[in-house]
Amino acid sequence: MEPTVRTAPIVAEGLVRAFGDVRAVDGIDLEVADGEVFGFLGPNGAGKSTTVRMLTTLLRPTGGRAIVAGHDVVREAAAVRFSIGVALQDASIDPLMTGRELLHLQATLYGIGRRAGRERSDELLERVGLTEAADRLVGGYSGGMRRRLDLALALMHEPSVLFLDEPTTGLDPMSRVNLWDEVRRLNSEHGTTVFLTTQYLEEADELAHRVAIIDHGRIVREGAPSTLKAQVGLPTLLVDVDPGTEDAARSALSTVGEFRPTRAGRVAVGLFEGASGAAEAVRVLDAAGITIHHMELNTPTLDDVFAEATGRRLEGSGEADPT
Amino acid sequence: MSPPVGPQLAALSRRAVLRFARQPSSWAPATIFPLLLVAVNSSAMARVAEIPGVVPPGTTFLMFLLPAAIVQGVLFGGIAGGSELATDIQGGFFDRLVASPVSRPAILLGRLAGAIAFGIAQAVFFQLVLWPFGAQVESGPAGRLTLVLTAALLSLGVGSFAAGLAARTGQPEAVQGYFPLMFILLFLSSAFFPTQLMSGWYQRVAEANPITWMVDGMRSLVLEGWSWFAVAEAIAVPAAICVLGMVFATRQLERRLAVAG
Repeated sequence: MEPTVRTAPIVAEGLVRAFGDVRAVDGIDLEVADGEVFGFLGPNGAGKSTTVRMLTTLLRPTGGRAIVAGHDVVREAAAVRFSIGVALQDASIDPLMTGRELLHLQATLYGIGRRAGRERSDELLERVGLTEAADRLVGGYSGGMRRRLDLALALMHEPSVLFLDEPTTGLDPMSRVNLWDEVRRLNSEHGTTVFLTTQYLEEADELAHRVAIIDHGRIVREGAPSTLKAQVGLPTLLVDVDPGTEDAARSALSTVGEFRPTRAGRVAVGLFEGASGAAEAVRVLDAAGITIHHMELNTPTLDDVFAEATGRRLEGSGEADPT
Repeated sequence: MSPPVGPQLAALSRRAVLRFARQPSSWAPATIFPLLLVAVNSSAMARVAEIPGVVPPGTTFLMFLLPAAIVQGVLFGGIAGGSELATDIQGGFFDRLVASPVSRPAILLGRLAGAIAFGIAQAVFFQLVLWPFGAQVESGPAGRLTLVLTAALLSLGVGSFAAGLAARTGQPEAVQGYFPLMFILLFLSSAFFPTQLMSGWYQRVAEANPITWMVDGMRSLVLEGWSWFAVAEAIAVPAAICVLGMVFATRQLERRLAVAG
C-alpha cells in the first residue's frame, strides 16, 4: 500500500501514553531517517517498549501522533502492520511449532503465496543459520536460535521498517555479536530502516547511526553516539610517571590539554584535540625526558552521556559520580 | 489491501490442531477420565438398566452412558482449546499476531479450530472404543454423524466461552477455573443418571438444565433410533451455546484489541 504521507519512515510528534495517572511515555518527538539504524536507549521502565508498542500499533497513544512507513498508527493501523517487521522482546515464539512451520505461518499471515512462502522461508532459514534446525520444535532452540528465528519471522515480507525490541537481551556474547552482524547486513545490503531498543550501551554504540536516550518517558538526549559523547567532555589521558616528576609532566602537557585531579604519581589531562592528541602528548613527554610507566586513554561513553543527562548511571545503579 | 482471510484462518487452524496434538496434557485427561467414568458407572450401575423405562429393551446402560462420555470429553477439550488463547496472550504470541495484518476474526476462529477438531475426534473415538463393548447406535450412521456434529458445535460453544474469558483475563489459570462450573452443570443433568430416578430439587434442576435436553436428544439417537425431534434436541442446545459463546468471545476480544491502534 502506498504511503498516504511522504515522510521519514518513523515520525512521532508529542507522543503520549498514560496509564491512569502515570505517563509512561510523556510527549516524545522522534524522526528516523530512511535507511537509518536508530537506537532507543534507556533503563528498564523508561518507556522504550511502550513507545515501540505504540509505533507498531499494539497500543493506542493517548496523545500526540505517529506516522510509520507513511501511515498514521491509529487511523491506518492495518497499513502500518503490512509495512513493518516486528521482533518484540516479550513476544514468544511458539515452542510447540518448528521453525519452518512458524515461517510458513508468517508467510500466510502476510498474504504470501504457498510456493513463494516456502522459498522465502528456506532463504531466511539459510540466512539466519537455522536450516539444519528448521524442522525441530522451537522449544528445543537456544536463546540465540530463537532470536535469529524471531528476526527471520520479522523479515518474511521484506519490510522497509524493522522494529527490534531488545533483540539481544539474555543472549550470550557470541550470539549477540552474530545478531549485530545480521542487523548491520540487513541495513547495509537492503537499506532497511531499523528502530532498535536496547538497554545495552555497547549495542547502541555498535549498531546505531543515531540514538535517543529515554528516561521517565521523556527523551533526554538525541544524536549520533560520537556527537553525544563529544558533548559530554574531552577524552582523558592518564599517564603514570615517576614520583616527583608530576609537575614537570604537567608543564610539558600544558599545551595538549587541561588538567584533571588525580592521585600522586599520575597526571590526568583532558585532551583539547580529542583522542588524536594522545600522540602529541607522548611526544612532548618524551621531549621533556619524562619516563612513562603506564598510559591509558578514557573516552566518554554513552553511559557518561546518560549520567550527564539524568544524574544516574545506566550501567549498574545509583547516582553518577559527580567527579 | 489486506491479505486473504481464508488462508490465514486455515494456517491458524492448522497451528491450533498441531499444538493440541503435541500437548498430551490437553487431550489425555479429556480422553481418559470420561472412559474411566463410563467404565465405573456402567459396572456399578448396570442394574439401573433393568428398571423399566430407563433404557429400551435390548439396549444396555453402556449405550445410555455413551452421550455422557462424549459431552464430558468435549467439555474438557473445549475449555483446554479456549484457554490456549490465554496462553497466546500470556506468552506474547497474541501480540505477534496483532502486529501482523491478520484478520481479527481469524485470530479467534483459528484458535477455536483446535477445540472443534478435538471435539470431533472425541466423538469418533468414544463411539469406536465403546462399540466392541456393546455401545451400538440405534439410529445408524446418520445418528453417529449427528453425535459428531453435536460434539463439534458444543466444542465451539464451550471453547468460545473459554476464549472469551481468555481474552478478558489473559490468564490460562482463570480459564481453567471455568471447568468446575461446567462439570457441575454436567452432573446436574441426565448425563450419568436418568432424571426419572431423581427426586426433589435435584430432579427439577436436572430437567431444567439445557445439557439434559441435549443429552436426551443424543441418547434418543443412541437408544431408540432416528428421530428429527431428537436431532433437533441434540443440535439446538449446542448451537445456542455457540451463538452466545461467540458473541461473548468476540466482545471480549474487541475489548482487548481496543487498546491497540
